[in-house]
Formats: sequence, structure tokens, C-alpha cells
Amino acid sequence: MTDAIVAEGLTYSYGQLLAVDSISFNVAEGEILGFLGPNGAGKSTTVKMLTGQLQPKAGQATLLGLDVVKKPKKVQEHIGVCFELTNLYEQMSAAENLKLFARLFGVKNFDADALLKRVGLDGRGGDRVETYSKGMKQRLMVARSLVNTPRILFLDEPTEGLDPTSSAAIRRVILEERERGATIFLTTHDMVEADKLSDRVAFIDKGKIVALDTPHALKQRYGKRMIKAEIAKNGGLEYREIVLDRDETAADVAALFSDEKVITLHSEEATLEDIFMQITGRGLV
Amino acid sequence: MRRIGVLLSKEFGKGPRNFMFIFAIAVPVVFTLLISLLVGTIFSGKPRLGLADEGHSQVMAAAQDVESLIVKEYDTAVALRTAVENGSVDLGIVLPAGFDDKIRDEAQVEITAYVWGESQLKNRAVTGTTFFNLIREIVGQEPPVEIVMTPLGDEAALPWEERLMPLIVLITILLAGMMVPASSLVEEKQKRTLYALTITPASLGEVFVAKGLMGVILSMFMGALTLALNNAFGTQPGLLTFVLFLGATLAAAFGVLLGALIKDINALFAVTKGMGLFLYAPSLIGLFPSIPQWTAKIFPTYYMIQPVVEITQQGGTWSDIAPEIEILVVLILLMMGVVTAVIRRAHQQEVIGLTAA
Repeated sequence: MTDAIVAEGLTYSYGQLLAVDSISFNVAEGEILGFLGPNGAGKSTTVKMLTGQLQPKAGQATLLGLDVVKKPKKVQEHIGVCFELTNLYEQMSAAENLKLFARLFGVKNFDADALLKRVGLDGRGGDRVETYSKGMKQRLMVARSLVNTPRILFLDEPTEGLDPTSSAAIRRVILEERERGATIFLTTHDMVEADKLSDRVAFIDKGKIVALDTPHALKQRYGKRMIKAEIAKNGGLEYREIVLDRDETAADVAALFSDEKVITLHSEEATLEDIFMQITGRGLV
Repeated sequence: MRRIGVLLSKEFGKGPRNFMFIFAIAVPVVFTLLISLLVGTIFSGKPRLGLADEGHSQVMAAAQDVESLIVKEYDTAVALRTAVENGSVDLGIVLPAGFDDKIRDEAQVEITAYVWGESQLKNRAVTGTTFFNLIREIVGQEPPVEIVMTPLGDEAALPWEERLMPLIVLITILLAGMMVPASSLVEEKQKRTLYALTITPASLGEVFVAKGLMGVILSMFMGALTLALNNAFGTQPGLLTFVLFLGATLAAAFGVLLGALIKDINALFAVTKGMGLFLYAPSLIGLFPSIPQWTAKIFPTYYMIQPVVEITQQGGTWSDIAPEIEILVVLILLMMGVVTAVIRRAHQQEVIGLTAA
């Protein structure tokens, strides 16, 4: 599998503030990479460098074999970007918004209605965007990022603050795009979303990538597997946690069942957020 | 070019829903109507010719049939002179006794004409030319008439309608050429749509060009419309259109520069308010003849409006306006250079105010 995105030593600073500190990674064609980190970690700056909006101070980025700095417009023909904050022409209708961008990309026989239907906005294409709810606008943003059938899709917090229906619609589209063969660079705070959708996740903190692997491998490497028991004691409920994969685990489990009245028993594994906290010493927000 | 066309059609498509776009169209029309109502001749725009016939000239009857003039008859030369002094007519001509016989005999005739000092140049021209045509019709050849002009009233002062016309035209050019692209660019930044546009194959330069073209087209159209509404299009529409194009181009380039450098609409209005005197100074100076008129040349907008004034009010030709046009072209090139430098630096983003989190 060839790499759709290759970043080597990407660096950017705003004055004295080093926003992205020599990060390197690659994303294979058809892969979904979850790019996770707290606010100010350097996620958006990385996306801007990858999409040709910012020139790196050092390092280089190659998308589909094209140097982003040298051929930004060539790169942008093949990418779609869905921004975190909505930036639609609100006085225009949804269909007009999509058609405008399709014309800028030079898409022939563009079918705005079909694309609106994919994101659950069928029948609303003629309405002005200013009349849309936040969820509808975000779905339209996703639709706009797809007008050129991009080979690489950058999604920046696509489901942030959305209702479950809109979030589900967007997740469905993301998976459809992967099925189509698109590479997806997904920036999100939502660890559950990242876990569900991403083939691999990268943790970025203070401008550096501190971990990059599949969610499963990260959990294996950093997480503690355990079982959590709810027991009846002294007329109330208490909890016991038994860490697995230790020499004394079997004895602890046996003692639990012989000494206590177990009400419920669950296996637990570390979440991506737990792992992020473990690696960086701070949360994602 | 295709993408610039797409962006330009978007600008004009969005225009009617944009406050500044509508403002740029409405303001010159409203100003023109107001000024015409207050000081002008909007409801009686025809030139006015006064005649005092001391004999029984055929010219009098023939003049009454001319539809393009308002012709008033006065019993005596004194009454005619008083009427001209009051501004009741633009041009007053005394037809001496035996006038028709003398011109038929091809004898040299000297007649007295009174000109109201504040009458519009075009009115003087129209009345004078019509008078000669009437005589030519009677005689059947070039009339042997010499007219001795006597200006009456305040000759130095142009009528207020003509003095205000450059200000209206300058406001029109700057509103449409400068403010519309500037506010449109600032709005695109504030709503972050500029970011979305520049992540397509469209470059920032193409966006700037489309905004500038919108300003040029709108500014030229509104400038021409304003001149037409003021009956001041002059006799050289080609040259005037070229001058309007250059003026609109400078205004649009400046508008794009403002839009590129200013981050929000309130700041844009504050800056343009602050620059108001600087921008409109040449026309304001022209309103008051007591101010040394050379001071207007200090301001760049002088070179946008002065050629228009020369063509429309003074019958100026290419040779008359060439020095101003040369300076105007230099100003345009300088402004284009600055805009190009801004585009080149735009990848640093701070320059055009696209936030980089």
C-alpha cells in the first residue's frame, strides 16, 4: 500500500511560539488516521501545513507524491477539507454553495442533490444556509468537502457538538469514503469516535507526536486490562478492581468469588483518553 | 481565467444580498436626485434662451418652435438683461431692428448677447448653436453675424450642480470601486469563507482579481450612470469611459489592499472614515474657489476625478488630460505592486488575517 500523506520533520512557529515541532508520520492510501490532541497542541497548524495553507518553517509534506509547498494548487485539486468552524456562504442556498465549489474544482455534471442526499439534506438544497441548524450546516460542510471526490479528506472535528443524528450521518459518510478508497485525516477530541473510525491514531502534544499506532496496539502497550466487580457488603455496594496479566491474578479472582458476594462483573480496558493521559500527564480538553 | 469567471459570477450573484453593494448603487442615485432637486434643474433641464426683438425678426417665431430649448421673449433689451442677471435664462440675445434684412443682404451684423455667469457650459453651447442654426435656416448660408458676449452675474462661480458633480462622481467611484471589494474581502475573512475558497484550486490572487474586477465593473457602471443622471456625459464617451476605467481600477486596487489588510468590518469603516478627508479632498477643494485649487493635486484621488471634470465640464481632450492620466497610471502600477506583494506574503497568513490556531 502506498502512502497518501508523508510528513517529514514538519515544523511551524508563530513568532516565538513553536506550534509544531518536527513531526514525521505517514498515512497510507485508504487509511483513516485519527489525529488527537488537546487545544493548542498543533493539530490545526499541522492540517494547514498539509493542505497548503501554511508553509512549514522546516521539513516537508508530500501528498499523493506531490510536494505541498511546491505544488499547493495541484495538491488541492485532490483533497477535500471540512473545517471545524462552519464557513459557508450563508446567504446562498446549500445547492448554490456546493455548485460554486464544484465549479471552482472544475467538476463536470455535478449533482448537488445526490450529494445533499448522502448527508441527509435532501429536499433542503434550495434553502438558504442561514436557516440551517448547526448540525445541518456541519453536514453541508462535509458535503462540500466531497464535491471533487477527493483522494484525501481532511476532517477537523466534524462531529463536535452535534446531535446524535447528525453525528451518525457524518460517521456513515466517513466510512463510505474509506470504502471508496479515500484517505482520511480525522482530527477529533472524541476518543470514542476516533477509536471506532480510525485505523491508526496519532497523539500530538505540545507540537510533538507522542504516540502513533492502531488503537488496539496502543491499548495493548499502554493500557491495563482489568476486571471490575460490584459486590454487596455491609448493606451497600462496593467495587473491586483486579488487574489482569499478573502472577497473582488467578488467586485474586478466586478470592473474590469465595470471600465476596459478587453482584456484577465487567472486563475493562483502557480508553484512548486514559492512554493519552498516561503518556502526556494531561487530558485532551 | 475560468476560476476568476466563477468567482466573479459569485460576487455579482451575492451582490444584491450585500449591504455595501446595494449602498454603492443607491447612494449616487439618491445624491444626484437630492442635489438636482435642491440646486439643479431636474424638472426643467432644457437650456433657456431669451430674445428681445427690436424689429419683427423671423428668428423669434422660428425659435419658439424649437423643442430642445425654452425660449422666452422680452419686450426690451433692458428687460432681457435683467432676466439674464437674475438667471432666468442662460443666454439673452438682442435682435436689432432690420436684423433679417441685413443678414439676407449678407451685411455684417453685430448683435449683443448676455450670458448668465452661472449657467452651465453645455446650456450656453446649446443655446448659441441653436441660435446660429436658426439664422442659417433663414439665410440659407453661413450667417454674417458677430456676437458680442457680455457675461452677467457671478461668472467665476460654477453653478452648485456642476461644482458638486465631481464630488458625487468621486463618491460613486470610491464606494463601488473601493468599498465594495474591501467590505466583501473583509466579510469573507470574518466568515472564514476566504479560507474555504483558497483551499480549492482557486488561488488567493484569483480571489483578489475577482473582487477587484467586480469593483472596476460596478464602479465604471455607476460612474457612467451618475454622469448620465447629471447630464454630464460630455461629447467624448470613449475617452470618458477610459478615464472612468482607470479611476475605477485605482479605486478597486486600493479596495482590495484594504480588504486584504483589515481584519473586521468595523475596522474597515473606521479606517475609511479616517481617510475620508484625504480621499474626497480634491472634490471638496473644488467646491470652494477661494481655496487655492493647486492644493488638490496633492491628493491621489485628484488624478481620478480631474480628467473626468475636464472632459465633462470643460470639453477637455486627450492632450488636456494626458498629464493627469500619466500620474494616474503610475499610481495604479504602484498600488498593483503593493497588492502583489501582499499576495506573495499571504502564505504567512497573518498578513491577510486568516487566523492560524
